[in-house]
Amino acid sequence: MNFPFTKKVFTEDDTINLAGEFVNYISSGDVIVLNGNLGAGKTFFIKHTLKIFGVNNVTSPTFAIVNEYSGKFKVFHFDFYRVNNVSELFDIGINDYFNDDSVVIFIEWGNLIPVILPKKRFEVNITLNDDLSRDFNFIKYE
Amino acid sequence: MNVLGIESSCDETSVAVISDDKLTANLISSQDFHSKYGGVVPELSSRAHLQIVIPLLKDALAKSNLELKDIDIICATAGPGLIGALLVGLTFAKGLAYSLNKKFIAVNHIEGHIFSGFLMEEKPEFPFLALVVSGGHTLLLLVKDFMNIKKLGSTVDDAAGEAFDKVSKMLGLGYPGGPKIQQFALRGNEDKINFPVADLRNSFNFSFSGLKTSVLRYIQKNFSGEKIPENDLNDIAASFQKAVVKALIKNAEKALSEFEVKSICLVGGVAANKSLRNAVIILGERFNKKVVIPGMEFCGDNAAMIAFRGQKLFENGITSSLDASPFPGLSDDIFS
Repeated sequence: MNFPFTKKVFTEDDTINLAGEFVNYISSGDVIVLNGNLGAGKTFFIKHTLKIFGVNNVTSPTFAIVNEYSGKFKVFHFDFYRVNNVSELFDIGINDYFNDDSVVIFIEWGNLIPVILPKKRFEVNITLNDDLSRDFNFIKYE
Repeated sequence: MNVLGIESSCDETSVAVISDDKLTANLISSQDFHSKYGGVVPELSSRAHLQIVIPLLKDALAKSNLELKDIDIICATAGPGLIGALLVGLTFAKGLAYSLNKKFIAVNHIEGHIFSGFLMEEKPEFPFLALVVSGGHTLLLLVKDFMNIKKLGSTVDDAAGEAFDKVSKMLGLGYPGGPKIQQFALRGNEDKINFPVADLRNSFNFSFSGLKTSVLRYIQKNFSGEKIPENDLNDIAASFQKAVVKALIKNAEKALSEFEVKSICLVGGVAANKSLRNAVIILGERFNKKVVIPGMEFCGDNAAMIAFRGQKLFENGITSSLDASPFPGLSDDIFS
């Protein structure tokens, strides 16, 4: 995978394979931001990425704002969908989550609160097309 | 015995008192406390819990004609939930227990929901089947007694309540989605669109992510970018609601055929949905089981259920030490 990297997928299995390819580039301290509309498949992609880390209990964090898992790494799985502004993120102590270098952080709907996103991050943008296919676009910001 | 319960796992702060097995106060911040206690507080913040927990405690004690020194045991939600929010209620409760030299009990929020049927006059009978449905959780459990809970299944992706919220958003109906979908569904034809119900074979698990995506597909295909006419909104809401109810009932029915229980409890925020309530009542009639569904004030997050659960733990010899930590999630092997 050379970033930026773009791939069109047609089936769930395609997405699972893509997650398996992407996981090789992740190490502790990384932040991965996922953008895409409702139903784009953000949680699905994360679920299958983390399966490879031995995490089997990934569910949507929309209600909880952040889920925590442990596998090969400790993982914080955020969802900004329900967050109204950046001060709410400060209130839940987002800096404490971000300052932990031993974890991997996934953020769904990161584009809703762009100001909080760290400079160094991966972005995975998912577009759901009318023909049922999905376009994945991976960008690495250094 | 006077039991104090404190709940702050997510958006609501709540304080309740159970005095000699009678609920004397169950105050919830989302009621009208924001205006009462000055200014707008952010919906989602630990600071909001901090600002509100003491006024709620004072009101709950006053309502119960009790003083702080009359409280015998202090119970608080330890998880699952948002860590910053949990910390406020849990730390406050531990501080109270330490300063008053009272017993402290850390309560699992889901166990609070599971036994919330006992807050009603008509109580569940053991063993019972519990269907816990809320914005953050969807679980099916077999409850043998107060100390014996077995998980049969849970959601593998989105919670049922979350599906309601997201579909409501797609339809432009607003938040919270549950009441909006229910309102539009009342005027719609639930058989108009056949949205798929996930079939996770050989398991009691649930999945609502695919349903959400198929509603999105339907909207894109038929109304791409245009305003959805009111009749169609009603039909989509009704058909979607039917699919959620069907998915929940299907697994509950399977569990009833496999396990011998005396009653069925429908609990959690989504238990406020009338269509689901009716479906569970009908299921109970078909299987000849007693059905217990808590009243609205005990469906959403509330401290009454935390106080009740804490008291039952205490009666079974369980108390917590003051170094009990909050936990954000349910581990995969809980209730196993």
